[in-house]
Amino acid sequence: MDLSIFIQLIVLGLVRGSMYALMGVGLSLIFGIMEIVNFAHGELFMIGCYIMYFMAAMLGLPFPLGILASGVGLLIVGVILEKGLISPLRKKAGREWLMDSFVLTIGLMVIFQNLALIIFGSVQRGIPYLVAGQSTFGDVVFIYDHLVILSLAFLTVGLLWYFIKYTSLGKAIRATSQHSEAAQTLGIDVSRMYAVAFGIGAALAGISGALLITLFPANPNAGMGPVLKSFVVVILGGLGNIKGAIAAGILVGLLEAFAVFYLAGGWQNVIVFSVVIAVLVFKPAGLFAPAGERP
Amino acid sequence: MTLEIEHVTSGYIKEVPILMDVNIVANQGSLTGIIGPNGAGKSTLLKTIYGYLRPSQGDIFHDGKSIRGLKPDQMLGQGIAHLIQGHSVFPAMTVEENLELGGWIIKHDRKTLDRALDEVYQHYPLLKSKRRMVAGALSGGEQRTLEIARLTMTHPRTILIDEPSVGLMPKLVDTVYEEIVKLKELGYTILIVDQKVHKCLDVVDYIYVLRLGQNSHHGPKEDFVNTIEDVIKEWI
Amino acid sequence: MNILASPQRGMNTSRYIKLALVLAFLIAVPWLWRENRFITTVFISALMFGIWGVMYDLQIGYGGLINFGFAGFICAGAYGSALAAHHYEINPWFCLLIGAVASGLLGFLTGIVTLRLKGIFVGLATWFLAEVLRLTISNTPEYTRGMLGLAVKPLPDVFGLDFSRAALLPYYYLLLILVIIIFAMAALMVNSKIGLSFKAIREDQLATETLGLSTTKYKLINFTTACFFTGLIGAFYAHYIGILTPDPTEFGVPRTVEVLTVAYVGGRGTLWGSILAAFLLIGFQEYFRQLGAWRLVMYGALLITVMIYAPKGLSTIRKYIW
Repeated sequence: MDLSIFIQLIVLGLVRGSMYALMGVGLSLIFGIMEIVNFAHGELFMIGCYIMYFMAAMLGLPFPLGILASGVGLLIVGVILEKGLISPLRKKAGREWLMDSFVLTIGLMVIFQNLALIIFGSVQRGIPYLVAGQSTFGDVVFIYDHLVILSLAFLTVGLLWYFIKYTSLGKAIRATSQHSEAAQTLGIDVSRMYAVAFGIGAALAGISGALLITLFPANPNAGMGPVLKSFVVVILGGLGNIKGAIAAGILVGLLEAFAVFYLAGGWQNVIVFSVVIAVLVFKPAGLFAPAGERP
Repeated sequence: MTLEIEHVTSGYIKEVPILMDVNIVANQGSLTGIIGPNGAGKSTLLKTIYGYLRPSQGDIFHDGKSIRGLKPDQMLGQGIAHLIQGHSVFPAMTVEENLELGGWIIKHDRKTLDRALDEVYQHYPLLKSKRRMVAGALSGGEQRTLEIARLTMTHPRTILIDEPSVGLMPKLVDTVYEEIVKLKELGYTILIVDQKVHKCLDVVDYIYVLRLGQNSHHGPKEDFVNTIEDVIKEWI
Repeated sequence: MNILASPQRGMNTSRYIKLALVLAFLIAVPWLWRENRFITTVFISALMFGIWGVMYDLQIGYGGLINFGFAGFICAGAYGSALAAHHYEINPWFCLLIGAVASGLLGFLTGIVTLRLKGIFVGLATWFLAEVLRLTISNTPEYTRGMLGLAVKPLPDVFGLDFSRAALLPYYYLLLILVIIIFAMAALMVNSKIGLSFKAIREDQLATETLGLSTTKYKLINFTTACFFTGLIGAFYAHYIGILTPDPTEFGVPRTVEVLTVAYVGGRGTLWGSILAAFLLIGFQEYFRQLGAWRLVMYGALLITVMIYAPKGLSTIRKYIW
């Protein structure tokens, strides 16, 4: 194929890949710290889409504000969900925590999706662009939107990375996931850590939804595709493996962009899912885990 | 700082008390040991002191103030620290990060935190040399040292230690007790719960024996040195 | 879950009477309202979801296996039967069996491949497997008609009964017979030695293995059997409903969630709970049909409420009615 198409596919792949990475990181974070497989993650994305639409299209505010609002809004939603529903369940559940919390998130997904349908209807509400225009280098067309999305996604992951690695709250969250009892004896409020972690995971999904509204308009089912793909990313990257989620997200984005070019739409999903099943069976800890590691 | 446990009755479920009317005094600057057979309630005792369990009766005083029902960060604020059983380092974080987290409740006061860190590095040069290493890569004994050092970051005055030798290779057990004696020499009040009766007896000043959730014998170490075998036989 | 006998285990006279009453209800009501097509369809739906819930419960409540691709096995049964009838002109009654075998075989293979995985991973693997199946059907319209829809012929008339779907009563009673047989077999299984193994595995897999029990073998038996019967009813569904499409609401996550809700609300590990829950939920749903999407919001809320406040579902009231 010629270079211009190649480059454009790469960019497109990276753009979608950055969404997958953001979603995957949020999902992995939530799993790594709280041991929850969050099936409602797609709905958190969807809420982000709607907040962005509200801010940018209805109120006409500049798009960075919309993204910020989505992030903050979902942070709040996440904390409320954790304190209101997940904490009570944690107190009740015993060994069955993983499966029980999974089912709880399924319930949340159903509620959010249908509430959105009731409140907003199934109309797709999109925004044509964040930044208008494009530039052409030779044969290659770079759409500004894509570049903006990519850089903001990059920025978000970078900020998250900084937060987790260098701030004291981030360190406390990591400590809680590594040894919650020890963290408690040092005075760390473990339940607060869980709430913050879930809030951050949700915020990442929300930002993802806001960023990609030009490609994925807001509608009640906006989350269904992203959630499936985020699970693909998280399984390939390894549940709880943040770096793996980023790498896998980009990988999946790129693979998708090229696969759609060569294969009919329906089959690329079949192939991706089959790969996921294979990974689950042979390398459940993910593609990037050291050999023989069991989750 | 004296720690006094008075008439404490406690357990996991209200109807099933594990500790019944237990009384313990850990005098300031002393090393007090609690020994007893399995199931005597030693862990329950520590959990009750540290607030994970609420006593249904009785009270716990530190320095004359009631600490019943306080949360861990409040306990640390009152100067009481708790070293749990088994491995408790944060394995994927560096030695320095582990120590900094030991100072969690004073994290807003950067200067005090840095000073505490320097002091720890002075007392434990081994940790200083490995400050950037990931804690999980340290040996078992080094990890234990890290745990103890981490504990001292907030300059507590009283330390509760739960089974210090559990999970350690035999040759490292001595090192741990040496560390504990060093802590005592620095003036800490220490309460140890221990299975290793003889080791415990070596280092403590005062002993309490707990059986079936109740006080059995107690007395200064000298009282037990000769009779300890008989005491243990009673447990069987 | 008590391995030891729960109070008043087993049947006694008063329980036989109650069972007879339940059966009488199931047999009589649709007959008495046979002019009312609506009632018949509601009862058929309730029974279908009920027995699917029982199969889901068999897997999760007794096998500890979270089958988040449940709809895929319904799909295998439905399409297996429909395609056999459509392409190879096999008698649809025999196709019901073909559908069951297709699903059972898929279950067996899935089991072999996933059963050594930790709980949640089995759920994820089965979820993706169901998606792969559904999408494959969707992508091969030359064979399956894909999203255009596969028309499924009604069952041929037998014993003078009219299965043309003009009146649905014969379908209901056929389903009732199938459900009674499947339920009886499931109940026998869980109360047998095999069932004891299930419970032991659910309680403590490691301990059970140290006792010498092959947990994989029993999990496989559990999983395959449940899938076989799920597929059988799936095949029934195909010939009953008359048209199949590989839509997510038919054979994707929404369908699995419906069955899962029935099983959870009924009470995991009870079998009968699912039947009761299905009747209540489907009845409720039909009654509140005009509420549209609010219905599903209630489903979600119900699921969450059950998870947090009533983990045993309806079976918490067991002692009042049985």
